[in-house]
Amino acid sequence: MNETLLFLIPLLPLVCALLNMVFGMRLPRLFTETLAVTGVAGSCALTLLFWDYATEGGTKAVLFNWLDSGTFQIAFALNFDRLAAPMTLMVTGVATFIHLYAVGYMHKDADYGRFFGLLNLFVFAMLTIILADNLLVLFLGWEGVGLCSYALIGFWYQKDQNTRAGTKAFLVTRSGDVFLGIALLWLFALTGTLTISEINALAQTISPGVVIALTLLLLVGACGKSAQLPLMTWLADAMAGPTPVSALIHAATMVTAGVYLLCRLFPLISLSAVGMTAITAVGALTALYAATCALAQQEIKRVLAYSTMSQIGYMFMAIGAGTVTGAMFHLLTHAFFKAALFMAAGAVIHLAGDENDLFKMGGIGRRGPQELFWVFLASAACLAGIPLTGGFFSKDGILLAVFSHPDPLYEFFWLIGMLTALLTSFYTFRLVYLIFAGRSRGRNQPHAVSRLMRWPIWPLTILGLAAGLINLPAFFGGQEWLHHWYGKLAGQTLTPDHHTEWLLMIITSSLVLIGWAVAHFYYRNVEKPRLNWLAIFLLQGWRTDRLIEQLLIRPFEAMARFCALGCDRVLLDGTLDGSAGLAKSWGVLARRLVTGRLSTYLSAFAWGFLIFIGWFLLRLLK
Amino acid sequence: MIVPIGHVLACSAALFAIGLTCAVIRRQIIMILIGVEIMLNAAALAFVGGSAFWQQVDGQVFVVFLMAITAAEVAVALAMVVYLHQRKRTMIADEFNRMSG
Repeated sequence: MNETLLFLIPLLPLVCALLNMVFGMRLPRLFTETLAVTGVAGSCALTLLFWDYATEGGTKAVLFNWLDSGTFQIAFALNFDRLAAPMTLMVTGVATFIHLYAVGYMHKDADYGRFFGLLNLFVFAMLTIILADNLLVLFLGWEGVGLCSYALIGFWYQKDQNTRAGTKAFLVTRSGDVFLGIALLWLFALTGTLTISEINALAQTISPGVVIALTLLLLVGACGKSAQLPLMTWLADAMAGPTPVSALIHAATMVTAGVYLLCRLFPLISLSAVGMTAITAVGALTALYAATCALAQQEIKRVLAYSTMSQIGYMFMAIGAGTVTGAMFHLLTHAFFKAALFMAAGAVIHLAGDENDLFKMGGIGRRGPQELFWVFLASAACLAGIPLTGGFFSKDGILLAVFSHPDPLYEFFWLIGMLTALLTSFYTFRLVYLIFAGRSRGRNQPHAVSRLMRWPIWPLTILGLAAGLINLPAFFGGQEWLHHWYGKLAGQTLTPDHHTEWLLMIITSSLVLIGWAVAHFYYRNVEKPRLNWLAIFLLQGWRTDRLIEQLLIRPFEAMARFCALGCDRVLLDGTLDGSAGLAKSWGVLARRLVTGRLSTYLSAFAWGFLIFIGWFLLRLLK
Repeated sequence: MIVPIGHVLACSAALFAIGLTCAVIRRQIIMILIGVEIMLNAAALAFVGGSAFWQQVDGQVFVVFLMAITAAEVAVALAMVVYLHQRKRTMIADEFNRMSG
């Protein structure tokens, strides 16, 4: 086989996206839906088919020379290597199930052509990020996912709130992208290439101070896309989009692109200890921040959004602690169980009669199929980190890596991680209890949940539960397959003694159980939210929106007002209006001479003549 | 030359002043036109005087041209006077002030 065939993986969703966008509404609904699902499923099958290309250092495929200007040579090239292959498989696989779910979820929506077109386009852009051989192609995909995210958050654009959420997501992620763009240009100036493998190979030659700056720039870029502090405000609002979009883009794939970028450039960023500490600090603080916010949220999808931010914070901690395997392992398990949770949440919202408010749910399990409760509980157990689920292994791996780091500052990050684990367990079970426990508090009529909305959740739930097998630690008799698969790309290898491992496992497990117990105690049968000042503070996400408004938007508006009023109105308009007014008033004065009366002109003529003559006579007399 | 050039020019200047005064202070269009004619003739007199003084024919040729132009001017002017009279039934020049700025 020819390696150029690798391009079929991203191209298949692109072709389906274009077909759906152009002809989607003219084709029968079933055809559009089938096309969308086939595109993604086909690319999943191709990934499996081409799996062998990823072994032995990966395969590069060049489609054409994109930019060709002297030393600036950018090929449109893909690199299917050991880091990209599992991520590609995860994205295409999860996207296939979510597409199937979306067929069920959107079956009443009239605008299916646009929806499936954008969803397929998103998969294409995401695959471009994953498979990109150089940073410019990666940036192309990076902006592509941003565009699709914007368009899909505001999918129901008739509601002003939705479009505003889309614009917010677009603007906030864009401000991160600026830093990523600066990092790209700087890297090109330093190394003369944008190919990722060459940059990583040349990373040693860059001076340490510049590496710190580059790492921080890349970190801010990743923060924007992955909703980490301080560019995290958009993700909770992004839940305005349809639930399949939240599951695919804002839980499983796009928001983890930042983690993937840092993993890709890990040989570069691992050179600066300061940068790594900064990455861990950002991750730890976001994990804690988002977990506290999730404690008080009242909308089901906002809880999940904050939990996504929190879990991505863990992935950042893993990168900061130097283990790419830990980050990617958590990325994969998180993608499975969080997508399942979102899909189940979509079904729950259907059963509650389009009700998002947790305090108007209760007893949802009795309204619809019982299996919904089990998939939700299983995925929630993964999120909480109940022992032996996928989330437990991946989160423990990260906490172990942070704990084993020699830097004493990491002890502090580890404590934050542990506290976050406790909070995660608490808010997850709070969510479960509020949805399923007690009697029904809502009055809306439930909508039926079709089969297509139920069964795609199962495979993802099972994958989430069993994902621990991908990288089962030796402690549990596993082979750490993922770690060995990544080989040289995996970052540091952890060899903790059994004593530490036991201790950590017992601590995390007991924390998870404590969180569950507390949630059980408080939320077993709750009627309405208790809103004290702390709850309101957390509900508003630590009032960060207000903070940003005060710090950024107000000064910007003041500056804009100064420019508009001070500079434009007063200075420019004043000068122009003033000179125009002056000319006009002179004109009014001069106009008086033009009376239209013949006698005036004649006398003026005579006077002029006399003055003329008089002047000549005076010259003559001299 | 029997008449000294100074007398001819003084006569011409006086005629011109009379014509100018007539054109400026009278309100009737006809009278203004007559004033203009007097000024033109004053100029023609100065030309003829100059021609006799310097014994050159240029001035006299110029006067012939001046007469032709005056005739043409009078023809046009009188036609316009008739037209203006038809429009407003008046000969007062200041009544025609539509061109005011």
